Amino acid sequence: MDKRDTLWKKWKYNAGLTPDKDAIVHWVAEEEPVRWTFKSLIETAGKFSHGIYKAGIKKNDVCAIIIRHNPFLYPLYMGISRAGALPAILAYPNPRLHPDKFRQGLEGMAQRSGLDYIFTERELEPLIKPLIEKPGSTIKAVFFPLEWDINSPVDKKTDAEIESIAQSVKETDYFLVQHSSGTTGLQKPIAVTHKMLLEHVDICNEALNAGGDDKVVSWLPLYHDMGLIGCLHIPLASGMTSIHISPFEWVLAPILLLEVITKEKGTISYIPNFAYNFLAEKIPVEELEDIDLGSLRLLINGSEPIRHDSHQKFIERFKKYNFNPLALMSIYGMAELTLALTYTEPGKPLTELYLDRNKLSEGRVVKAGKDSVVRICVSCGKLVRGADARIFDVNRRELPDTFVGEIAVKSVSMFEGYRNYPEKTAEVVHDGWYFTGDYGFKCNDEFYVIARKKDLIIVAGKNIYPEDIEDAVNQVEGILPGRVIAFGEEDSSLGTEKVSVVAETKLETDKDKNRLRIDILKAGMSIDINIGKVYLAPPRWLIKSSAGKPSRRANKERLTLKEDPQIWSR
Amino acid sequence: MVSDELKQVILKQLNLDEFEIDDDTVAPSVPGWDSLSHVNIIVAVEQHFKVKFKSMEVLKLKNVGDLQKLVDSKLAK
Repeated sequence: MDKRDTLWKKWKYNAGLTPDKDAIVHWVAEEEPVRWTFKSLIETAGKFSHGIYKAGIKKNDVCAIIIRHNPFLYPLYMGISRAGALPAILAYPNPRLHPDKFRQGLEGMAQRSGLDYIFTERELEPLIKPLIEKPGSTIKAVFFPLEWDINSPVDKKTDAEIESIAQSVKETDYFLVQHSSGTTGLQKPIAVTHKMLLEHVDICNEALNAGGDDKVVSWLPLYHDMGLIGCLHIPLASGMTSIHISPFEWVLAPILLLEVITKEKGTISYIPNFAYNFLAEKIPVEELEDIDLGSLRLLINGSEPIRHDSHQKFIERFKKYNFNPLALMSIYGMAELTLALTYTEPGKPLTELYLDRNKLSEGRVVKAGKDSVVRICVSCGKLVRGADARIFDVNRRELPDTFVGEIAVKSVSMFEGYRNYPEKTAEVVHDGWYFTGDYGFKCNDEFYVIARKKDLIIVAGKNIYPEDIEDAVNQVEGILPGRVIAFGEEDSSLGTEKVSVVAETKLETDKDKNRLRIDILKAGMSIDINIGKVYLAPPRWLIKSSAGKPSRRANKERLTLKEDPQIWSR
Repeated sequence: MVSDELKQVILKQLNLDEFEIDDDTVAPSVPGWDSLSHVNIIVAVEQHFKVKFKSMEVLKLKNVGDLQKLVDSKLAK
């Protein structure tokens, strides 16, 4: 009996069932989209698998894909899987990113994930080649698959060999590697089995009441779980159409998302919180004339804290374009659980709690009174099937509902541990619970995430580690070494955080401080981080923690509580 | 050639006093000019010069020189 228990088998089955249906629509602004049907996609994947097989790539080899928005990325990915190898999509470097930083990041990942091969574009060859040639490198070779001739006739005997590899793959074998965030070079690799992913496909579709007629529209990068799992793998495995816009094009022309939803009658989209503000505020009204969001039944907010105001702005702007406010949904999840831990209920209004902000920062969930400073907490929803979550205090004792603590999770879709990184796994997994580093609470079976442990900054859905910024800024001449902190400050107009840096300096004149600020901004640029605000303090201003290093939390509070004349900022 | 006027609009939006900007300048080389601030810069340019750009026109811009040409083309109309 043909068991569709691996992704290749599932894809083949879908190609047999609905061969001419759009599987993936690759969207490029002002051009005809490239439409992969289920049949054409699997056929082209088969062709790519020949190149992969002939290159000597074996079952379970990890193949990093570093390619920009390109229609051949999807069949390449699938072709790697057919050959039994594990694809891992990594971010294409931004031109701002210093080459050494990119190499450092890639090298760190290569060692952890055990990257065996890199598939990329010719432009990156000078950057990547030194890595392969370095002694002790795990990377065996780099390939440029966009230059392959995939139109030459397929050798039937070889094809049968590759197909037999694909058929020999078991559901408990690994399918892909994705990465959870980490500091540069220390991203945490997570291997997902076929069984994990296929089970998660069913779980998420149940939670969303999603089926074959749905169309997922996305601009999300595919090196992140919400994009990769939510917008590519779930629809592809389910026989649904997904439409992919370049993240780079979208951020320059946000109207693209709405145009595609209108033209293709998209029903589902996932976007991070800042995108609600972006879409609501940055599109001129003249461009919205033909927009109709009536088909959109689910607009799912994830990847960063959800803000009530962002949703309100979006509703206000787009209700006249047929946007249904009941389409608003939240997701809370992480790569460690493949994707989703919770979803809110589709078609129902989101639960929002109006709470006393001060009590909340003390760890208590108390309804706001008339004199309270209010914080509106938006629900992330209820647990999906097969998932569990508890709230724990600093001593890892369980807390009851309406107490704020660290959220610990487990699920049937949970990872086995970070690949080749047992010490990191041991830090965060205890008694089968994964301690997320997020702070929140549970109320009436719904979960609310309100803060991050470890000072993580989240800008436009992207996780940024303060240590990376501090390391870069510490190199700047004029800064007292070791006397730098970075933290996130809420940017309510953008609906996300901005990065702020405090650094101690002996410089005194305005002219010198302005020059130093530019150097600090450039240091951020070299690691592809935009520093929003620079605070310059005199020597010994920063409060130290008990470990003897400047405390981010204490200094952030100090800055925000009261204006200090010693501080120069811009 | 990039006018001083356009340069000043960009610098003001990025909260910079001075920075070398010419025809070939691209966003990644200017402190603070990332994809999120890009939209604000475009809006600031539109407001200052009292012109309107289409999203697709903005998408095609490769450098500040292209932005200057786009402004000029709108003003010439």
